[in-house]
Amino acid sequence: MHTGHYISGTAHGVLILWALFGGVFRSDPPEVQVSEVSVISEAQFAAMMQPQPAPVLGAEPAALPEPDVTEPVPEPPVEETPPAPTPDPVEPEAVAPDPVPEPVAPLPEPPAAEDLPQPPAPEPVPEVEAPDVALRPIPRPAPRVAPEAVPEPAPEAEIAPEVQETVEQSETPDVTDAEEQQATAPEAAATEIVTEAEEPARAPTASIRPQTRPNRPTAPTQTVAAPPATAEPDPAPAPTPAEPDTAADATASAIAGALEEALSGAASGTPDGPPLTTGERDGFRIAVQECWVVDVGSQAANVTVTVGFEMDRSGRVVTSSLRMLAASGGDGSAAETAFQAARRAILRCQGDGYALPAEKFDQWKTVEMTFNPESMRIR
Amino acid sequence: MKQIVASFLTVLMLAICAPLAALAQSGPLRIEITEGVVEPLPYAVPDFVAESAGAQQLAQQIARVVAEDLTGTGLFREVPREAHISQVTSFGSPVQFADWKAINAQALITGAVSEEGGRVVVKFRVWDVFAGTELGQGMQFAGTPDGWRRMAHKVADQVYSRITGESGYFDSRVVFVSESGPKDQRAKRLAVMDYDGANVQYLTGSNALVLAPRFSEDGQRVLYTSYETGMPRVHVLEVGTVQSRILQGQDGVMSFAPRFAPNGQTVVYSLTRGSNTDIWAMDIGSGGTRQLTNAPSIETAPSYSPDGSQIVFESDRSGTQQLYVMPAGGGEARRISFGQGRYSTPVWSPRGDMIAFTKQNAGRFHIGVMRTDGSEERLLTASFLDEGPTWAPNGRVIMFARETQGAQGASSLYTVDISGRNLKRVRTPEGASDPSWGPLQ
Repeated sequence: MHTGHYISGTAHGVLILWALFGGVFRSDPPEVQVSEVSVISEAQFAAMMQPQPAPVLGAEPAALPEPDVTEPVPEPPVEETPPAPTPDPVEPEAVAPDPVPEPVAPLPEPPAAEDLPQPPAPEPVPEVEAPDVALRPIPRPAPRVAPEAVPEPAPEAEIAPEVQETVEQSETPDVTDAEEQQATAPEAAATEIVTEAEEPARAPTASIRPQTRPNRPTAPTQTVAAPPATAEPDPAPAPTPAEPDTAADATASAIAGALEEALSGAASGTPDGPPLTTGERDGFRIAVQECWVVDVGSQAANVTVTVGFEMDRSGRVVTSSLRMLAASGGDGSAAETAFQAARRAILRCQGDGYALPAEKFDQWKTVEMTFNPESMRIR
Repeated sequence: MKQIVASFLTVLMLAICAPLAALAQSGPLRIEITEGVVEPLPYAVPDFVAESAGAQQLAQQIARVVAEDLTGTGLFREVPREAHISQVTSFGSPVQFADWKAINAQALITGAVSEEGGRVVVKFRVWDVFAGTELGQGMQFAGTPDGWRRMAHKVADQVYSRITGESGYFDSRVVFVSESGPKDQRAKRLAVMDYDGANVQYLTGSNALVLAPRFSEDGQRVLYTSYETGMPRVHVLEVGTVQSRILQGQDGVMSFAPRFAPNGQTVVYSLTRGSNTDIWAMDIGSGGTRQLTNAPSIETAPSYSPDGSQIVFESDRSGTQQLYVMPAGGGEARRISFGQGRYSTPVWSPRGDMIAFTKQNAGRFHIGVMRTDGSEERLLTASFLDEGPTWAPNGRVIMFARETQGAQGASSLYTVDISGRNLKRVRTPEGASDPSWGPLQ
């Protein structure tokens, strides 16, 4: 009797399981490369950044004898430090650290040197978060810091407390802060801190997620032109070349077309951006209906009227735009009364503006509101 | 296999995207509101501005009557004057809408009164506070100091009309039977009053029993039934001169339950010959009569439709009192009431869309309304004895008589909105019954 159902159910179940675990939805390349990272102290980092000045000051270092300082360095901890940086920057830019490590060590003053020998700086780590910084290529900080960081080693010892201050300043503005900090970068280690402040913003790029997944391509043809400009976190999802797919060309194009039609709506000239959610629409509706006074015994209670109006970005109604678009169920007088009641409702309950998402302004800047009292009529 | 799955997924995605496409908004945001609130509309009426030395009291009185009229409808709620932020000191000064918005007054009525040489001038404006505009145009009425209440009613009518879109009923009068004395020896006489019970004037003496007065369409004449001759007979009274005459005076017959046709030239009434009662029509000018019903049962309480084409009446031809509708010229009648109990005293609404009636069922009396085809019957009241409904000129309110139970029971007049809300007693100096609401003056 239900054999067909059983077969169908079984087949669908198998299909779903196969789709889930059979690799259909699995993307090939998304493997994340993992590299081990070790923590280094500020002094070590500063030392790493000294390769260029080092040669310049080549003559002076001699003047800076203080071999004593170097003595503690070679101690066990010091021996540990040199290897640490090397493995970390295994990455391309480890070039700088190579010559630096040792000569840089003397640069820091005794107190800084004292820190070095100590365990791999567990304390300063949280402040500087060296590992993250180290991981980043960050070519910019190096030249900036290098020229002037050298003459002022002392402030470096106080970096930690100042770092936090500069971080706070750089929180609000994003790009502009970076520029401003460049101007102030010469002072102390602010430049480094700036880069840290920017970490959150750059974190996504660092994750380097493969873009193989289809993410709303607007049009296959356009996506081709877009790729060169990719790698930027533009609001519009980066066009993902659906071309490389093997036999899924037709599938991808079909899906892309459907998505485009459903979501973009560009072809029909619909407002940009996502539509209002059901909750947002309901909130708007309820806000108005709370002020819609219906005289259930009047002729106007038989009239369904549609009112059109414009709204500004603050959610307030442009009063002059209120107009009756349509009315049915009564004569002209009743329709006018129904319109007036609807108009009063719209205006009275707006307060300082209806609570509508500003980012979806295009969706609600023009409104057509229908007032249908059918369910309220006395019977 | 993968291709098959891919195809399947494609179809699946299309199936999902199709509704999305439908949901995708095109054009303006469209919202439908089907639920509102039923509550009085808040308004403010500051005291009218006295523009002459002696008009101060008059200005206050007129403003109060306007407020009482509007609030009495149940459709408006006055914002107390104590809550007013702005004071209107000049009729021509600009309105501070923000101040009135702050107290949630949706409508504002400002006015001014001047009195000079026995002539009173009342002018007013109505404002839509939240729109910041004037509703209609400013208007003024002129009259004698004695007519200040009428002028106030006229102002209220204008305000009511501008806000609701329907005509008002405040400047109208009601003719009724004034009752005095104990229940078993009650004296009855015709009286006329303002719709709110003010300015009662008596039209007849109490030497003869009078019943069922009915205003003409123009409010200049009143039909009523009098037992002056010992037998009920239809009389017509000129309101202006308070002169009455017998309209139907055939010997040996009883005539009662008269009512004017919309044209004012024809009168329908019940006439009893022997034990049979039928409905007749009479041309007032020529005195010619015509029998509209011819049945062995009792047909009475006829009432014209506003267009004069039909007549609704009560009949017990089915065994109990029920309502029927027939052509104005007579002919086959169709029954429109089918509920339990007995229906009587039907009255066609001035709007033409409803019929009010008295219903007796399960030992209680009700005032109700129904569509002209008998559908959508709704009972608006219930008491020991409610009867004799009459419509306000705008068809929005029904006035009726309610009598209390017991030997000391008395009859008084009440009004109720056709929605069943706002049941109010009309204050009269004595007992009252059989109201008939006249036209808007």
